[in-house]
Amino acid sequence: METAFRKIDIDKYDEDVLLEEELYEPDPRDPAQVLADTRAKATTVRSFLAKDFLVTRGDAAGALNIVLDGAPYGPNVEEAKNTNLQTLLTILGSTKVPEIPGILKSLSQDTQDTLMKYLYKGMAMPSWGDSSWSVFLAWHEKLTEIAGIGCIVRVMTDRRTV
Amino acid sequence: MSTPEEYFIAQAPISAHAFNADRKEVCLSLNSNEAQILRKQGHEWKIVETLSEHDKVITSIDWAPNSNRIVTASQDRNAYVWSQATDPLTGQLVWKPTLVLLRINRAATYVRWSPNEDKFAVASGARAIAICSFDPESDWWVSKQLKKPIRSTVLSVDWHPNNVLLAAGSADAKARVFSAYIKDVDKRPQPSVWGEKLPFNTLCGEYSSPNGGWVHSVGFSPSGDVLAFASHDSSISIVYPGSNVIFNIKQATLPYVSLCWTSEDALVAAGHDCQPVLFQGSEAGWRAVGSLDDTTAPKSSGVGRASPVGRLNSAAFNTFRNADMRGQTAAPGLPGAGSSSEAELPTVHQNTILSVRPYEGTPYQVTRVSTSGVDGKLVIWNVAAAAGGGLAGRMEALRV
Repeated sequence: METAFRKIDIDKYDEDVLLEEELYEPDPRDPAQVLADTRAKATTVRSFLAKDFLVTRGDAAGALNIVLDGAPYGPNVEEAKNTNLQTLLTILGSTKVPEIPGILKSLSQDTQDTLMKYLYKGMAMPSWGDSSWSVFLAWHEKLTEIAGIGCIVRVMTDRRTV
Repeated sequence: MSTPEEYFIAQAPISAHAFNADRKEVCLSLNSNEAQILRKQGHEWKIVETLSEHDKVITSIDWAPNSNRIVTASQDRNAYVWSQATDPLTGQLVWKPTLVLLRINRAATYVRWSPNEDKFAVASGARAIAICSFDPESDWWVSKQLKKPIRSTVLSVDWHPNNVLLAAGSADAKARVFSAYIKDVDKRPQPSVWGEKLPFNTLCGEYSSPNGGWVHSVGFSPSGDVLAFASHDSSISIVYPGSNVIFNIKQATLPYVSLCWTSEDALVAAGHDCQPVLFQGSEAGWRAVGSLDDTTAPKSSGVGRASPVGRLNSAAFNTFRNADMRGQTAAPGLPGAGSSSEAELPTVHQNTILSVRPYEGTPYQVTRVSTSGVDGKLVIWNVAAAAGGGLAGRMEALRV
């Protein structure tokens, strides 16, 4: 059976095509501002980690909230997106596995959804090595148990990709 | 606790179903270009007539209770109105089709009669909704199209009780409320929370879920003052236009694709999760009450859903885990590691529910709803099962 027609980009012939940008509200901040915000957050979180703040105070949830709140999305902010993922990975990697469920339960539903977006983004990174993948997988398992499959569905549905 | 009435219709997906006024007959389509009318005989539904006029798969069916007319919409870009007439040869009552001039160039996806049954709305992939009314001079149904500002396929519609306003859910992640006022058919509508002046194609409201996603289903509350919609981000949203309050309830399950209101403060939603769920609330807030399906009761195979939400414990997951941890491969034909029992869901429906509709009661007090799905089942549920026989009820029983 002839199937090549399925690969034709029919949107090319549509004058009134639905654009990706029409499917979500754009970030009101301009890209430079987003990058500056993200770097500031990275510095805050790094100083937390340097003082062993997370371990002594057990405030990984607070650090996660800083990173995940107002996470960069949309076009033209690739650098901010990657910086934020790096910052997130340092938090995830420095948390002990038994503490994960408690931290996840303290997050709001929106924050859980954003975290899941980053877990999938992290697992899609080609050259990050096995150690970070195992961190992402451990968090993914726990987050799925707490937030359900609905959380994964929202990651796939949401066009505000991080 | 009352058990749902369960009918296995066929080994094929039921694309759509619609009961007649006295609920003795049902019109449904088994994912084909034909619609069947079935009559209840004992505990069985028997085919009494087949409606074949469409060339492609029928996507939606609606049966007007008072005028006893059926309307079908199909991927062949046509809709037909079917009415009963006496066949001059045999003298028997048969269903005769009337063509509708939809003027759309993509599939018709959804159809619903207006409350007065003098109009119907056909949603389509042509970024348009055809509002159809009867033209007695030419003896056919003519249409007027709602187009702006729809940006993608319209997936569902629902009529406001005033016969003028129409809600539409679409693949551009928006739920909208339009005026579908037709001069020759409608009287001037009373002002409502949706607006006062309502010429054709007035956009009275446009809403979306925070996470976006296709809006699979829309529904006006019985009074028409509240709008609910289910979207593909596994959430339902309830809109109060008067105070501009929108409640968004995110669920931990797969998305819902169909919903229907059961009273002014409650609705039932169902979909990929394979079970109908009751939601209750008011302008102060909304919450999920529980499933109409008692998934903890032992079904034929005795598999309970003891695991919490989101536990990755599906048959597919276990297949991969066994392959990974123990080197087991479930070859087809061999009895794999409990694959036959785990393949059966603890729910009544064994696959996605495509449609949930009111079955018994008045719009303000629906006591039973009907569902049909990809598993070929037609099920009639007691709405009270979620509230009375839910988890609280079972805990009560345990204490005794």
